[in-house]
Amino acid sequence: MGAINSILTILDHFRHLQAGRPLMKLVVKATLFMTVLCLMTFAICPRASNAERKPERVDCDVHTGPCSGSLKDIQITLEVEPKPVKAMKDLTFTVTFVGEKPVTNPYIDLGMPGMNMGRNRVILKPAGELVYRGEGVIVRCPSGRRTWKAKVTVPDVGAVEFVFDVIY
Amino acid sequence: MLSTETIYFVIFTSGLAVGFGHCIGMCGPIVASLSLNLKGRSVLVPHLLYNGGRITTYGLLGGVMGATGSFTLVTARIASLQKIVLVFAGIIIIVMGLAMAGWLPLGSIFGDHYNPEGLLSRGFRRLSETKSTATYYPLGMLLGLLPCGPVYTALIAAARAGMEAQSALRGSLIGLGLMLSFGLGTVPSLLLVAKLADLGWLKRRDIFYKVSSILMVIIGIYFVVKGIRY
Repeated sequence: MGAINSILTILDHFRHLQAGRPLMKLVVKATLFMTVLCLMTFAICPRASNAERKPERVDCDVHTGPCSGSLKDIQITLEVEPKPVKAMKDLTFTVTFVGEKPVTNPYIDLGMPGMNMGRNRVILKPAGELVYRGEGVIVRCPSGRRTWKAKVTVPDVGAVEFVFDVIY
Repeated sequence: MLSTETIYFVIFTSGLAVGFGHCIGMCGPIVASLSLNLKGRSVLVPHLLYNGGRITTYGLLGGVMGATGSFTLVTARIASLQKIVLVFAGIIIIVMGLAMAGWLPLGSIFGDHYNPEGLLSRGFRRLSETKSTATYYPLGMLLGLLPCGPVYTALIAAARAGMEAQSALRGSLIGLGLMLSFGLGTVPSLLLVAKLADLGWLKRRDIFYKVSSILMVIIGIYFVVKGIRY
């Protein structure tokens, strides 16, 4: 709320200045107009409004098989089922370790590269020796973007990300 | 496992974060359009009502998610309704844009009022002002159904909490509370957009409104196309 109050104070200050100085008046009008213009343009070009403009590298095809990655000396594979992997469907996420067994259960955070989609965490539970499984949903983004990432975190060890496309 | 109170706080901060990181870009144009259409009237009350309506819908959806414990079941049922709402939002923005510039003989929807003299007429004007401001609440409720990634994510949390609850009623209450928390978190960012888009204090603003009208029509068309293709 502090940031909002500051901005409102600045706006009031501009409003005061507007009464006296023609140049300032023009600057204020142009700035506010550009702000509104930018906001509206965001709707038309959600990709352009994205903070991360470079296309995210898709490093895994979840529709055909598991994704593999490594974290220090541990090999990690991520399997998402059922296939093909569709948004807005109940999905099962299976993480398999090759090497050392983690001390604490890992978990997965689902998100879109460069866009805050809120906290979507898949809690994994042991489902065998070095195998962890959990249920989750990949939601559909109305912008039309289909690239998602699954960040597998092993507490106290680190995290590995898998970037893939889903079907809407 | 997080406690219920902690989940409320986490989801509130999540709403706060996605508000500034996501909603400003995706829902900001709708809010900006509503502000522009007020044409100089105070934006605070209409936008509080709009946000209240939006949060009410979130809360109701959260309650249903919590009671059923299933995100995909509920969203599958409301998918076609969301598609209609997306198209409807586009049409509203187009009509508001056209009316704001005076290109539609409707006056400004939610905005301008007949301003005659006389006690009866003044009374009617006050009534119409109240009505037009109150319109923002049901409008917010309707637009709360717009498909939105972070809202879906919050609803997943509500459904999950419902699944773990001891009864459907308790699940429903937790889901309701979670979505209200999430919705409240998104309010500051959208109020900020509403205030920024309020050009009412500028003395000569006709040209701004004309250009904004064109943008609103383009955005409205974009929403309609998105809705049809969704």
